[in-house]
Amino acid sequence: MRRGVLVRVVAVGLAAAAVAVAVALLVPWLPTPASTQADRIDFVFWFVTAISIAIFALVSGVIVYAVVRFRARPDDDSDGAPIHGNTGLEIAWTAVPAALVTAIAVVSAVALAENDHLPKHHIRVNVTAQQFAWSFSYPKYKGLTVSTLHLPIHEAVELKMQSKDVIHSFWVPQFSQKQDVVPGITTRLVITPKRLGTYPVVCTELCGEGHAIMRTEAVVQTPTAFAAWVKAQQKLAEQALGGAGGGPGLAAFNSNGCSACHTFKPAGSTGTTGPDLDNLATYARRAGKPLVAFVHQSIVDPNAYIEKGYQPGIMPTTFKSLPKQQLDALVQFLTEAKK
Amino acid sequence: MTTAAVTHDELHAGPAPPPHGWRRLTAPGWLRVPWATALFFGIGVGIVVLVRWAEGWKPYWDGQVITTVSLATVGIGFLVGIGGFDYWGRYAIGSPTRPEDHSGHGAYTWRDYFRINTDHKVIGIQYLVTTIFFFIAGGFTAMIMRAELARPGMQFVGNQVFNELFSVHAALMIFLFIIPAFAGLGNFVIPLMIGAPDMAFPRLNALSFWLLPIAGLMMLSSFLVPGFGCGWTGYAPLCSTHQELGAVFFNMGVQWAGASSIMTALNFLVTIITMRAPGMTFWRMPLLVWANFTTSLLVVIATPFIAGSQFMTMFDHIMHTNFFQWEQHGYVLGYQHIFWFYSHPAVYIMMLPGFGIASEVISTFARKPIFGYRLMALSLMAILVLGFSVWAHHMFVSGMAPWLRVPMMVTSVVIAVPTGIKVFSWLATLWEGKLNFSTPMLFALGFVSMFVIGGLSGIYLAAVPIDIHVSDTYFVVAHIHYVLFGGSLFTIFAGIYYWFPKMTGRMYNEKLGKLHFWLTFIGFNATFFPMHYLGLQGMPRRVSDYAPRFADLNFFISIASFFLGASTLVFLYNMIVSWARGEPAPANPWRALTIEWQVSSPPPVFNFDEIPQVVGGPYEYGVPGARHAVFNGDRVVEQEEVRT
Repeated sequence: MRRGVLVRVVAVGLAAAAVAVAVALLVPWLPTPASTQADRIDFVFWFVTAISIAIFALVSGVIVYAVVRFRARPDDDSDGAPIHGNTGLEIAWTAVPAALVTAIAVVSAVALAENDHLPKHHIRVNVTAQQFAWSFSYPKYKGLTVSTLHLPIHEAVELKMQSKDVIHSFWVPQFSQKQDVVPGITTRLVITPKRLGTYPVVCTELCGEGHAIMRTEAVVQTPTAFAAWVKAQQKLAEQALGGAGGGPGLAAFNSNGCSACHTFKPAGSTGTTGPDLDNLATYARRAGKPLVAFVHQSIVDPNAYIEKGYQPGIMPTTFKSLPKQQLDALVQFLTEAKK
Repeated sequence: MTTAAVTHDELHAGPAPPPHGWRRLTAPGWLRVPWATALFFGIGVGIVVLVRWAEGWKPYWDGQVITTVSLATVGIGFLVGIGGFDYWGRYAIGSPTRPEDHSGHGAYTWRDYFRINTDHKVIGIQYLVTTIFFFIAGGFTAMIMRAELARPGMQFVGNQVFNELFSVHAALMIFLFIIPAFAGLGNFVIPLMIGAPDMAFPRLNALSFWLLPIAGLMMLSSFLVPGFGCGWTGYAPLCSTHQELGAVFFNMGVQWAGASSIMTALNFLVTIITMRAPGMTFWRMPLLVWANFTTSLLVVIATPFIAGSQFMTMFDHIMHTNFFQWEQHGYVLGYQHIFWFYSHPAVYIMMLPGFGIASEVISTFARKPIFGYRLMALSLMAILVLGFSVWAHHMFVSGMAPWLRVPMMVTSVVIAVPTGIKVFSWLATLWEGKLNFSTPMLFALGFVSMFVIGGLSGIYLAAVPIDIHVSDTYFVVAHIHYVLFGGSLFTIFAGIYYWFPKMTGRMYNEKLGKLHFWLTFIGFNATFFPMHYLGLQGMPRRVSDYAPRFADLNFFISIASFFLGASTLVFLYNMIVSWARGEPAPANPWRALTIEWQVSSPPPVFNFDEIPQVVGGPYEYGVPGARHAVFNGDRVVEQEEVRT
């Protein structure tokens, strides 16, 4: 190959690389990382991106040059040069990519091992997923069960996750960590939050009709704010214990994930996916049923009456199999708890 | 050569004389279809009711079970009606048969395309027209999805319908378009390319085509019985006990499509191994033949796994078995392992024939031999072998045994090496060539550049830490479309334009072809490139609604996708009008060397008047005096091996 050709191909390749680098740097591709695991994943991402840009530049350099330079003239019926191959070149483009992908595999394996590592000092949260809600309980704070995930900053957390029905998947884009939640087995995920803020929790495994709305939030707090939040939640639970339906009702409300989708002041929940349960009396009037019977029916057969502005088929129909005791406590809590 | 057809027509009877009177009802064809289908539906109902009655299972009349069993029997009834089993039936009961019966060969009127036809060229066209029909149906579902996704919130369809739309979209595009479209192209081209008069088993070939419409209609009719809203991956337990009856339509549809591709693959294997023209050694086969050979091996080995997985979910759903029922100690992840053990090789089933087409087109339009021919063939075999060792890279976040992740990552990135070899070889083939930018070449080059992007994003997905972040997001949607649309579909378009003159005997409109390419190329990139960003930023896939901050980009993507959808109209117009009124095509409009171009366009009914003699490699462009094949009439001295 003449030197002039090489220079021109390299020039085209560098131009392509410049465009690719600009696209890579000017667009904020990744969310701002909020966990130490995300930092490592981002590093692997940029490592692979650097290699990809080099390959992309090489390929586009050759294609663009060839398309411009080797275009046949309309009246040119002749054939190209009968080149059948070049052993050296073929060995090179087998060996070099092999070396590059090996490097990627090594970097990835190291990052993976570090991300899986759970420091001795950590807290544990049990995650329960079901169609179409999340609930989180903190074994350290006996029985504390909530529908939004609260975490203290800079402390590793181990999520132990179980599903009640189908496969779901837990993902917080800013944490970059994701893990399927599979019925029948317990899966785990390690996250070390490093930035304060509120982030979306997204279900990424298709789990049925309400998959798109299976969302909640993860809140990263300072240790003092987290402690205060734990206290407040515990107090709320105590208060509910004294009220109608009491502890069992609130416990059932939280552990079945009701709070993820419904607003209900006595439980301190603020979900907006389903109807606001503070207005149950109004809904019952519209449905033309006595309150208690209406609430009971809406739990065991949610599609019997659909409040205007909401869709049928979103609320799980699995609550019909709740134990009678739990169901009664739940109905009592919903109908009699102090607003 | 063009007189060959006449000679053969004299030797073999043409179409059989049409039957008269009541015999028209019993002769194979569309009059027999309705009553045979009804009869077999009745048989299905009978079996269910009888078994339930005998076992004392009430109710005897169970709609779900009857529907499920009918999905098997109705299909058989249709095949019996159209005549798929006539020859074997006669043979089995000892009636007289004519082994050399060629009455079902060739197409003389348009009606011959609507009956059991044993001519591989007719079957190839049947395949392509049918698959393009399902391509349009699948595209339509995508358009409705993009309309829904143009704005956040719900506008046109409900959640369940949306889930059914993307499930059917993928099922149609994969099982009823890409896989069988390649089978169709191969069906037409492979026997011609290797100098064979037909496929090895013409009757089996006909049968495998007629399984397809059954599969496709089954997938489409899943809309009528709501329930197939669990994705084409059909994960248990969502797709078994947590879905309505529609999921069973998918389970059974996959069986029909899978049986079709297994039969075709066996046919390709036997044809390629045993029916090559004299002189065509394996190292003289065109790369498309190599590609179909490796693809067929993949199909034969892998497809039974998806068939098994779909039967198991269906049994869990209907018969209360416990393969994947965790409450009864079934193994939920077992489904995914079996499913991906097919479905990852399926990615190569959908890609290797495209590699073959790209090699044919690039070599012909660059007027140069394929660079590194043997390494190109060997890399196909490497992908075949490695393809079976990477399935669990779809399961990095699934909760499977953690130790499995790193080995699967290593095999997954290593598969980039043979793939890279192919890309580099195509680039080197362009070098010092005389490039002609006809439509097939544009699509082939578009394929190479888009496939590089899809391949690179594949490396991101193979690297476990990155995959953990982007798994099940729009990044994956972007990747799969760069590979299957920018990859497979571009090569299907390249192949259709390339062999259109050979298939129809007419030239397509070159200007419209180029217009089609540019509209598709721009629309494709505008639609799918931004999806990388959406996924990295946090938009999961398979959702009907999304966070408001993704609204503007989704609106842009939707507009681009409508543009992309509209570009298909140019293709359809060009194909239909050119097939009816295009300029007559010469035998070899591209001055290609492979054997299919050495016979008339369209080829004679039995392909070759005399058996071609293969005397050299298939891509000896620019080599003075080199020939790939000669016929007795103009036999030249066998050339020396050009490459030693």
